[in-house]
Amino acid sequence: MSDAHSPSETDHNGEAQKYHAFINLALALAAITGVELVLVYLPINQAVIFTVLIALSLFKFISVIAWFMHLIYDRLLLTLAFGTGLVIATGTVIALMFILDRSYVDFEAITAF
Amino acid sequence: MSDDAHNNDDGHHSLMVNNKKLLMWLFLGSDCMFFGTMISTHLIYRKLYPESYDPTSLFSLELTSFSTFILLMSSFLMALAVSAMHKGDIKSFRRNTIGVIFFGLIFLGCQVYEFTEFVHAGLTLSSGTFGSTFYMLTGTHGVHVAIGVFWLICMYFYSFTGKMDAHQSAVDVEIAGLYWHFVDIVWIIIFTAIYLIEFI
Amino acid sequence: MSSTLTDTPTSSTTHDHALKPETSNLGFMRPDHSKSVLIDWLTTVDHKKIGIMYGAIALFFLLIGGIEALIIRAQLAVPENDLVSAQRYNQLFTMHGTTMIFLAIMPLNAAFFNFLVPLQIGARDVAFPRLNSFSLWTFVAGALVLNFSWLMQAFSELGWFTASGPTAGMDDFVPGMGWFGYAPLTERQFTGAGTDFWILGLQILGIASLGAAMNFVATILNMRAPGMKMMRLPVFTWMTLVVSLLIIFAFPAITIALGQLMFDRMFDTNFFQVAEGGQPILWQHLFWIFGHPEVYILVLPAMGIVSEVLPTFSKKPLFGYPIVVFSGAVIGFLGFAVWSHHMFTTGLGKVATAAFSLLTMAIAVPTGVKIFNWIGTLWGGRVRFDAPMIFSIGFIWMFMMGGFSGIMHSAAPADAQQQDSYFVIAHFHYVAIGGILLASISGIYFWLPKIVGKMWTGNLSTWVAIFTTVGLNVTFFPMHFLGLIGMPRRTHTYLSGFGWDGYNMVCSIGAFILAFGVLLFVIDIILCMTKGKPAGNDPWDARTLEWATTSPPQHYNFGRTPIIPARDALWEHKHGPENRNINFEADDGHGIHMPSQSWMPVLASFGFAPLGLGLCLMQVGIPYMGYVAIAGLFTIALGIILWAVEGPGGYHLHPEEDKI
Repeated sequence: MSDAHSPSETDHNGEAQKYHAFINLALALAAITGVELVLVYLPINQAVIFTVLIALSLFKFISVIAWFMHLIYDRLLLTLAFGTGLVIATGTVIALMFILDRSYVDFEAITAF
Repeated sequence: MSDDAHNNDDGHHSLMVNNKKLLMWLFLGSDCMFFGTMISTHLIYRKLYPESYDPTSLFSLELTSFSTFILLMSSFLMALAVSAMHKGDIKSFRRNTIGVIFFGLIFLGCQVYEFTEFVHAGLTLSSGTFGSTFYMLTGTHGVHVAIGVFWLICMYFYSFTGKMDAHQSAVDVEIAGLYWHFVDIVWIIIFTAIYLIEFI
Repeated sequence: MSSTLTDTPTSSTTHDHALKPETSNLGFMRPDHSKSVLIDWLTTVDHKKIGIMYGAIALFFLLIGGIEALIIRAQLAVPENDLVSAQRYNQLFTMHGTTMIFLAIMPLNAAFFNFLVPLQIGARDVAFPRLNSFSLWTFVAGALVLNFSWLMQAFSELGWFTASGPTAGMDDFVPGMGWFGYAPLTERQFTGAGTDFWILGLQILGIASLGAAMNFVATILNMRAPGMKMMRLPVFTWMTLVVSLLIIFAFPAITIALGQLMFDRMFDTNFFQVAEGGQPILWQHLFWIFGHPEVYILVLPAMGIVSEVLPTFSKKPLFGYPIVVFSGAVIGFLGFAVWSHHMFTTGLGKVATAAFSLLTMAIAVPTGVKIFNWIGTLWGGRVRFDAPMIFSIGFIWMFMMGGFSGIMHSAAPADAQQQDSYFVIAHFHYVAIGGILLASISGIYFWLPKIVGKMWTGNLSTWVAIFTTVGLNVTFFPMHFLGLIGMPRRTHTYLSGFGWDGYNMVCSIGAFILAFGVLLFVIDIILCMTKGKPAGNDPWDARTLEWATTSPPQHYNFGRTPIIPARDALWEHKHGPENRNINFEADDGHGIHMPSQSWMPVLASFGFAPLGLGLCLMQVGIPYMGYVAIAGLFTIALGIILWAVEGPGGYHLHPEEDKI
């Protein structure tokens, strides 16, 4: 039975396009990693670097999912299946980061430092 | 009899998505929560006690960037391997798969080296909350990589049995690819949230 | 009189014996068409058999959990009682909760999912039959690991065994830290191996649930018969879908929490060790991020069952089907946003407390919407008070009462007094027994004739309803007052003179009334299975596809794939216009493709037992247990590899043609 990608001779052009996309993405990812490495050593404002790092990571994350993992070529259902997990996980992480705060820590009880 | 076997049903696909692929994406959604919980534990403890440990002297950003680069390149080769199997080109599939395995092993090697250095420097599982969260998170990720490498090795050898071809095995290779890419993108997050953050 | 789409094929059973098993890709013989009943049931991948096994095991553990409860209530009947020690009491309420939730209700829900969903969507089986088998036997392994602790405790009491090694000096082998395992009590310094049994047991059960959940999502999305659009699905199947998604996204949180706790206990990490900076409050967060969706995982299937029974016995379609489905989905989604309402008294801060309080109130809205829709279903219908209907109606009222106390909890200031008091126990037992149990009993009364092919005998169901409902209310209604006048939870005894004595005695009497009701239910089931008359295909004149098959269904479910014209497809077929009849796909001559049975999932699952037990026994100091655990890990890996390599196989059946 056919799935979303049935191999066929007529698909070679599409495969070649994807091959080029993969190469370009690989080069971009390598370059971005290099940029990140340099960025942390630059004497720029902390918050700016932080934001740029997050943005670059997000780009790497989304582009690997979209192209290497094919999601952009696949049915929306798969994006929803994965995306829901992502949204719930992100929401939970953010909520926890807000709720847990230093002001609630009992530093007397911590003997380690 | 085996024509429908790889779809695990009688051919009915209500939503025109392969069953195995759907299963893998659901698993990856679950794995998102799994790593998300561990990453948030680490970030919470770093937020609570930023002064308790300074890993900047211990972390070698060069090494970690190198291993990040290695993993990204392995993802690239994996995408090529999947492409090859779609075309039925077993030889190309094998070449690329060996490449992924090789790069995966290099990554694991870097991790092992890094962990050994850290332990010698005094950072262990019991070193406060930092040691606990760091090793559990990166260790679990490493185990995921190892399982992926093992899976690909099995696939590589299975490709010699003659039972793999574009029609039957494209999906199986594709889901192995999905798993591998996921492990890669988790590392992208870990690299930023665990390593890079400490330096800014 | 049964109206049926499928006559009993005459030749299918003889066909089976004529079939020969084939070898798999590994070269071993597949265990298909086995004459041995044991091998047939062990290696089955048939969703119906798997469902029956889940159900039988679940009912067994329901009784075990019930006995644990009766001992608890006997202990609390009078002040300063010494029926059981404090340690034993703690273990009883811990195991009661853990057993009821993970070993009784979840597998009972799994039993319904397994048996019904493929039939309701017109499919042959689930998307991954061997994964289904793996989930069942992994569940068995988890139940084994968790309850093995009782054996260790017995050995300890008899003086045959003392803990050494990591848990030296601690003699609690059965978990006794509450079903929610709060740190730091569960840390290495404070509790013994009981905590380890609990951790490993739950991890294994979690894996079983995750596998099953992914299987069901794939099945419901992908394996529907032609014409079975999503909005034509029975509500029960919709609830199965929502619950499966909840499991997929909620279980990882507890997996990590348990993993972190295990590492703290076994490998000296500091996730929850206060002296090293660990924050026990993190355990509470992670646990309840799982724990709150978990209670919706428990209750949504019950709501699905009620949504099937009420229309059937009112002879009316479900009122507001799209809204009921949408509400179920909203409840599931919002369930992830309310976890800290279990933590109102932990000092979260004003903003967090207010946010969670409001979200909790919000989640009552879709629940209320469903109640109105159920009442709307009854209104104007030709209501028949058969057994399933009585229990579903009971559900509406009793669950609502649990909902009222829940809303009272959602107000954080009120909760500040109610937290950790008997008020909470009243709330969740009303929703669990009044809600989940009554609905499950309703479902069993409804579907057992389909499952075993025999009809219920006599009127015992009326007495079951009376005793369970009376028992529920006599046991748990006074607990609202007990909580409001200040009796705390989880205390093994209490002093006289607080005004609690009378209430406690009443509660304990009620518990035995409830137990009697459950006993009558068990007797009724046995009577049905031994003395029941043949049920026929559609004894209730029902609405959904599973009633179109024989009772019990043929193991291939449908001889030919049905084509679905509408919602409530069977009802439309029986009573609707011609163009809404169910047709069947043409026979293409290939016959019915059936999945092969297999040993490999069984092999993989059973590896969890040595893995879990090995780690637990390592904690009590038995030597070489680490190797046992590693052997377990290898078994699991081996099972999975062989599973992958053997290939799905399959064979073809050619039953008599189905007639409409």
